Amino acid sequence: MATFVPIKRKRGSKMSANKLQEEIGSLFKNITLKIAKNNRIFILAQKEQILDILSFLKNKGFDHLELISCVDWIKKNQFEIVYILTSYLLEDEKSRIHLILKTRVSRENPEIMSALPIFENAEFYEREIYELFGVNFDGNNRLIPLFLDREYKIPPFRKDFDTREYVKNLYDSILPVEDKNK
Amino acid sequence: MIEERELELFYGPQHLGMVGNFSITLKVEGDTIVEAIANPGYLHRGFEKLMEYRNWIQNFPLVCRINVIEPDSIEMIYAMGVEKLAGIEVPERANYIRSIYLELARVGSHLFGAWAYANMLGFDTAAQWAMYHRDLILDLFEELTGGRVYHIYINPGGVRRDFPKGFKDKIVKTLHAIGGCIPDYDATFFNNALFYKRANGIGKINLETAKKLGAVGQVLRATGMEYDIRKVEPYAAYDKVDFNVPTREDGDAYSRIWIVRDEMIESVHMIFKLLDMMPEGDVWNRTPNPLKWRIPEGEAYVRVESSRGELGLYLVSNGEDKPYRVHFRTPSYTHGLPILEKLLKGANISDVGNIMISLYVIAPEIDR
Repeated sequence: MATFVPIKRKRGSKMSANKLQEEIGSLFKNITLKIAKNNRIFILAQKEQILDILSFLKNKGFDHLELISCVDWIKKNQFEIVYILTSYLLEDEKSRIHLILKTRVSRENPEIMSALPIFENAEFYEREIYELFGVNFDGNNRLIPLFLDREYKIPPFRKDFDTREYVKNLYDSILPVEDKNK
Repeated sequence: MIEERELELFYGPQHLGMVGNFSITLKVEGDTIVEAIANPGYLHRGFEKLMEYRNWIQNFPLVCRINVIEPDSIEMIYAMGVEKLAGIEVPERANYIRSIYLELARVGSHLFGAWAYANMLGFDTAAQWAMYHRDLILDLFEELTGGRVYHIYINPGGVRRDFPKGFKDKIVKTLHAIGGCIPDYDATFFNNALFYKRANGIGKINLETAKKLGAVGQVLRATGMEYDIRKVEPYAAYDKVDFNVPTREDGDAYSRIWIVRDEMIESVHMIFKLLDMMPEGDVWNRTPNPLKWRIPEGEAYVRVESSRGELGLYLVSNGEDKPYRVHFRTPSYTHGLPILEKLLKGANISDVGNIMISLYVIAPEIDR
């Protein structure tokens, strides 16, 4: 039997992450940058800058939009839209960097530009967030219902939507079937 | 002359050519599909919201229901997310057990995939064998975890219990029994000229489009890119074992199913290597009392390679005993929505099931 030679785990060097940080920092103003452990780069930007930063990062090789997510920070009265980008490149160190780009929009009038011109697969993520959180994506013409069947007063993934109360109100109002054998 | 007109057809959710509860609205002209609109939601149970009401450990029985065929990668990724947020280390032996367990699950899932595809094309013999062989793997899971389909075996900090006595030999014996049938599978299904005729050139996608639409897993590897999270960002014990990532160039249904077959064989080799290398020791690092476990504020994005491709989890904690926000990035989401819609446009109506099953889509993963 052949002896095993453990593969050396290639770690993305701190250099490339730092270089990227410098470049983004010099190009875009009013953003907060943080490099965390394991080459996670967190960027907090204004919502007007998002498209510019996304297209800059795509040209830099971060061509894989993993996820667009939304977090409801109800105490700050804000929604946080989160874009997670990685790279399809394999040999390059970039493939180990996760870029987490975040922006905040107000809860009263949640609206942001759609990422569709840059990433084609953004369409469904945006549809999902529109349906579950009520965030409007300007430029996405297909914000039609994706999962849900019923109409809700509050989009159901918001923090002020109480699932348990909703279930109780909905199903307790249906009378149980009478047992005729009694 | 008959005037050509557009017709709207509803395909699914109760349809013979459809695996899982998922439907497509097709606009057809003659036999050609003009437009396809994917319509998920029949299995939307709102797990991500329900998880915000349950504490960190209570969520394990929920997450494994996201992928019914292979619940193990989802357990793994949720455990990895919790470990990352809480800063928990995993013992070395548990890493090996996790890798073996995940590879067994991959073989089981691929056998199910082979069943679905062979059954759909009418290769009933190979399909029945695949189902039988999957059952042998479920027997292994039953002995190890007590459950056949949902195992809830991986815990934050390791795994729930060590291998029982004689379990290693049982794994080897079962895998040898399945491996011995590969020539039969090849003769009846994979190398069958009829299979080639039905699958070659169906649902063809090129590398550029695949990347643009966020393809991962077999769909991407069938277009020639060697993209596998086990290589890109090794987790568990994958950095200690040598394995190949099968790829093909054509990007059609035929290549995708062949990759599934090659991956199964690669996984079996990997399990044998891992079994030989497994160290002795603990399998679980103690974690705090689950009822009082508060995880420090923070956020994590972790990813693993499930049987269908790259699986991601975005997990946010605000310092409470429950997660603040959970969001799964599942491979079927991109394969079943944008890519399926794209591939169906211009296809023949008789190829809908063929394309969908060859993309290896599983409906509960889309809906969550």
